[in-house]
Amino acid sequence: MSGRGLELRGLSKRFGKLQAVEDLSFEVRPGEVFGFVGSNGAGKTTTMRMVLGTQLVDSGEVLWHGRPIDFEIRRRIGYMPEERGLYPKMRIGDQLDYLAQLHGATAQAAHDSVRQWLDRFGLAGRVRDEVQKLSHGNQQRVQLAAALAFDPLLLVLDEPFAGLDPEAVDSMSEVLHERAITGTPVLFSSHQLDLVERICDRVGIIQRGRMVAIGSVDELRSHGPERYWVDAPAAKPDWVSSLSGVALRSTDGSRFLVELQDSTSDQDVLRAALRTGPVHEFRRDLPSLLDIFREAMTEAREGAA
Amino acid sequence: MAGFIVLQSFLAGRPTTLDIGFVGDTQVLAAPLKQAAESKTLTIDTHDEATVAAGQDLVNNGKLDVLVSGDPAAPDVYVKDDISTTVELTLSGLAKQVAFNRALVAAGANPSDVAAQVAKANIKVTYLDPNAAQQTAHVVVGIFVAALLYVSLVVYGQIIAQGVVEEKQNRIVEILLSTVRPRQLLLGKVVGIGLLGLIQLIILGAVALLTVSRTQAINVPDIGAAAVASGLLWYLLGFAFYALVYAAGGSLVSRQEDLQAVLTPITIVVVGTYLAFFWVIANPDNPLGILLSMLPPFSAVLMPARMATGQAEAWQVVVAIVLSLAATFGMTRLAASIYANSVLKVGSRVGWLEALGEAQEARWRGSAAQASRAPRP
Repeated sequence: MSGRGLELRGLSKRFGKLQAVEDLSFEVRPGEVFGFVGSNGAGKTTTMRMVLGTQLVDSGEVLWHGRPIDFEIRRRIGYMPEERGLYPKMRIGDQLDYLAQLHGATAQAAHDSVRQWLDRFGLAGRVRDEVQKLSHGNQQRVQLAAALAFDPLLLVLDEPFAGLDPEAVDSMSEVLHERAITGTPVLFSSHQLDLVERICDRVGIIQRGRMVAIGSVDELRSHGPERYWVDAPAAKPDWVSSLSGVALRSTDGSRFLVELQDSTSDQDVLRAALRTGPVHEFRRDLPSLLDIFREAMTEAREGAA
Repeated sequence: MAGFIVLQSFLAGRPTTLDIGFVGDTQVLAAPLKQAAESKTLTIDTHDEATVAAGQDLVNNGKLDVLVSGDPAAPDVYVKDDISTTVELTLSGLAKQVAFNRALVAAGANPSDVAAQVAKANIKVTYLDPNAAQQTAHVVVGIFVAALLYVSLVVYGQIIAQGVVEEKQNRIVEILLSTVRPRQLLLGKVVGIGLLGLIQLIILGAVALLTVSRTQAINVPDIGAAAVASGLLWYLLGFAFYALVYAAGGSLVSRQEDLQAVLTPITIVVVGTYLAFFWVIANPDNPLGILLSMLPPFSAVLMPARMATGQAEAWQVVVAIVLSLAATFGMTRLAASIYANSVLKVGSRVGWLEALGEAQEARWRGSAAQASRAPRP
């Protein structure tokens, strides 16, 4: 029954009075990019640190390929902390070699891999520069290279895209996908929901230490009530009220946003719309991840109250 | 540093040449004065002068430094504005000698016989304590160890604490701790900087000894290998203990600006121990001093002090070493716990007790058995 990849089971962590993480369970499968979404202080970083082992767990367990994760596995996790961590006065090449060797790579493998990643990130010419001389975006690239240079089993990236320009975001997300395709599970957290929506195979929304929604982006988006945009210029404003099982949510000129109850067929609504005259648009309204996130936050707040 | 040695030896060994003129009978003083001056890094060129007036002219225009004339037993000495103390004292001694010899001749004695007899008179010193000579070396080494330990604790302890804060401040510690155990990281820091400090101190010490022996400022006693080994042992024991405390202290704060507040109490203990060192040297039999010299963290400085005075008994030294080793071992565990519990906490300063409390809590949880628990202290 044990899956492959990373699995978190019932993790809890309390700091004094604050329940930072509560009974959190999810998994990141090989080949998957998992987006971890939540507001500040929701428990994302704490969860990641518990995976890394830099934070002790109060209860629950972290599994790797179905077995409790141990130090040897943890050494081979590529980790990018939220607050970037590099020695500012050390040369880039030396620093990456050192970090890769700390994670178990041989000197030669570290050297080759570091040069290869720096080349990939367009930093090959700056091997001998001090880290502090790089721009913010380039420091971030170096930080990612530090997480990649020892051929990690798993990538855990805390806000890897924060403060990057679109081009850098694209190249970085491309790298993440490549790694995922070769079988490395990728767990990353982000505030940028549009990005998460685009990049992730699956998403988990965490609020106050609890997972409030989890699934693929499509699953999450289609999870809510069925809504349709209907553009029927000839319809009277109250055409919806005569239909059973349908509620009008909003109007925008001649466009109506209608919400269907579970038993109602979208085809019935379309037929009813056609009876009012021409229909220029009949389109499923899928909520964006941002809408889902907001909704989840609201539900969680109401649940907590 | 090499330049410093050269400068020192140049300053100390600077040859001074004085031109001294002698008129008439005072010629007898020229040779003995020249001889006496040689042992005092002073060179004297002697000149015969025909008359006092001519000699005075030469003194006035700087050709002569000193003019001696008149009765050798009570010479008139002319200088322009300054007289070398060495010359003054030597001349006055020589004049007294001349007077003394005249008195001997007047009394019918032979001055050279008297001088030979006087030369034979001597004292003989016997050291009743056979270790007396070695003790001097011990005291010197003891003071050296105390001073070195004090300097290196204040300097390198500070560097260790700063290094810990730096890694915490720039967050690389998060990456390091994902692949290295906190205790390894902590000990690596202490051993690494400790070795660096030791090497620097050895270089500094060697230069100091070289300078001292080159300039002959003081005679370097023959320091025995045992004394050096004992000094090194106490240095290592003391440094290991305090360095761990400094490292744990550094992990409590997130910014260099907050560091001093945490380190001040540690520094006060270090300075206090250093001051106690001189008190123990002076009062080696005081019971409080004996007790403190066996207890860490004071023993590393105070025991060498008592050993230096020759008052430390073997069992006391053994007790001090054993306790010191035990304390360092315990401090390794404690510091690793404090470090592990506070190094990832960013923001306001973590209290010592808070870090300790969490350390115990964490250990308790660890023993409460969890298969997935991180394999960390």
